[in-house]
Amino acid sequence: MSNPLVRAIETVGAVSGFTMQLARCIVTGPRYLRETIRMMELLARRCLVPVGLAVAPVAGVIALQGVQAFREYGVEGLLSSMLATSILRQYSPTLASIMVAAQAGSSIAARIGTMRVRGQIDALAVMSVDPLRYVVVPGLIACMIVTPLLNVIATFLGIVSGWFFAVPVAGINDGAFFDNLYSQVTPLDLWIGMGKCAFYGAGVGLIAGYVGMATTGGAAGVGRAANRTVVYTIILILVADFVIGTLLLNQGL
Amino acid sequence: MGGIHTWLVESLAMIRDFASFMRRALRAQLRPPPFGELVRHASDAGVGSVLLVTVLITFTGMGLTVQGYSAFAKFGGEDMLGAFVGIGGVRELYPVMAGIIVGARIGANLAANLATMQISEQVEALEVMGVDPMHYLVAPRLWAVTLMVPVLCAYAIAIGLGASYFAAVAQLDLNGGTFIDQLRANVQWSDLAAGVLKGLVFGWLVACIACFHGYSAKKRDGAEGVGIATNRAIVQAAVACIVFNMILSAIMYI
Repeated sequence: MSNPLVRAIETVGAVSGFTMQLARCIVTGPRYLRETIRMMELLARRCLVPVGLAVAPVAGVIALQGVQAFREYGVEGLLSSMLATSILRQYSPTLASIMVAAQAGSSIAARIGTMRVRGQIDALAVMSVDPLRYVVVPGLIACMIVTPLLNVIATFLGIVSGWFFAVPVAGINDGAFFDNLYSQVTPLDLWIGMGKCAFYGAGVGLIAGYVGMATTGGAAGVGRAANRTVVYTIILILVADFVIGTLLLNQGL
Repeated sequence: MGGIHTWLVESLAMIRDFASFMRRALRAQLRPPPFGELVRHASDAGVGSVLLVTVLITFTGMGLTVQGYSAFAKFGGEDMLGAFVGIGGVRELYPVMAGIIVGARIGANLAANLATMQISEQVEALEVMGVDPMHYLVAPRLWAVTLMVPVLCAYAIAIGLGASYFAAVAQLDLNGGTFIDQLRANVQWSDLAAGVLKGLVFGWLVACIACFHGYSAKKRDGAEGVGIATNRAIVQAAVACIVFNMILSAIMYI
């Protein structure tokens, strides 16, 4: 059992099995819609501030550094189109998902882990409430729906913050900023960002559910579960981001 | 309105608690910390994060290059990629990603660890034995993380540049010489120093936030308290890294 390869294969098998079970739970009833909506409301409220605080400063930094670089080439009018493309496609979805992983992922994992170590998961099963359906699936669905919505707000905040640092702070012409803002952006960019977010959000819910359900070892185990969820999710997001970026580039999108 | 009011009151109370914790922690940090503990935490924070930072920054660097290429190819500026990676990566993205990653791993670890000690009354036990928990538990952790994160940031910059070069030359078939020239023209050694300085600030912030939330866990919250402390530490450390990155960049590059 201590062979790392065997353990890795075992984990892959367990995660795939878990995913299949969740897929079955989503397709078939009973569904706990009220719980799902409660989770969505909770996640949206808790994640809004961290997501905004993550994306807006990054957009500001892009604007600040971009102004200097673009000035050297004398094309500072193009700054806003670079800003809009990179925020819409790249930074807003990635950072919003990372912050959802940090906030929602760790709190879902900690919540499920706490229920696990206190025996509440077993209590649910005894009452013939499927813990997967009642505890894990609402979190998964909520993450999947809330992350793209947060991404829209984050994108908006990012562009506002980019405008603030480019126009009033760095002195770019206001008209040039808005003229070029949408020149390189199509609705497709927004949909790509939303799609990425839904995918990463599903990853957050899945990993948080799996790690949370696998919690052992009391209070220290709960901390470990929250920690692991965030680390695994960030790995997933960054690796998937690179793969998706390459695929989109090869497709010419 | 009631929600905002309680939120405001709770936030102000947390800021007050954080300030008083920091006063005690700084006083403890100024005395020489227990050396064995310091080495143990430094190797856990530093060596333990190397693999994670390597993997994640490799993908961040390759992702930055590929994304930058697809953005620049639209207006025919593929040759600017070296400048883009140099400025966007070395000055901003690699240090801040290293901060976020390390904050998520080490920060959460510290918070969970201290919170577990707090709710299982190990901190009280130390006090009973006449050991100052601030000096014995908090100070070595603060020192270890503050000293290790800058090193990890410098390492992340090196790894990130390597990954960007690899992606530009091997994946996108760009001219390696042009890429290096662009990089040389836009990035100086002072940028690396700025990255290390940022790492110092990120490390200290991550360590302070994590120790504060871990140390403030209440025994009556039990296992749930550990989860809450870990969660807050991760989120606030990430936000602190990003916000302070912007402040430091604004100070250093304007």
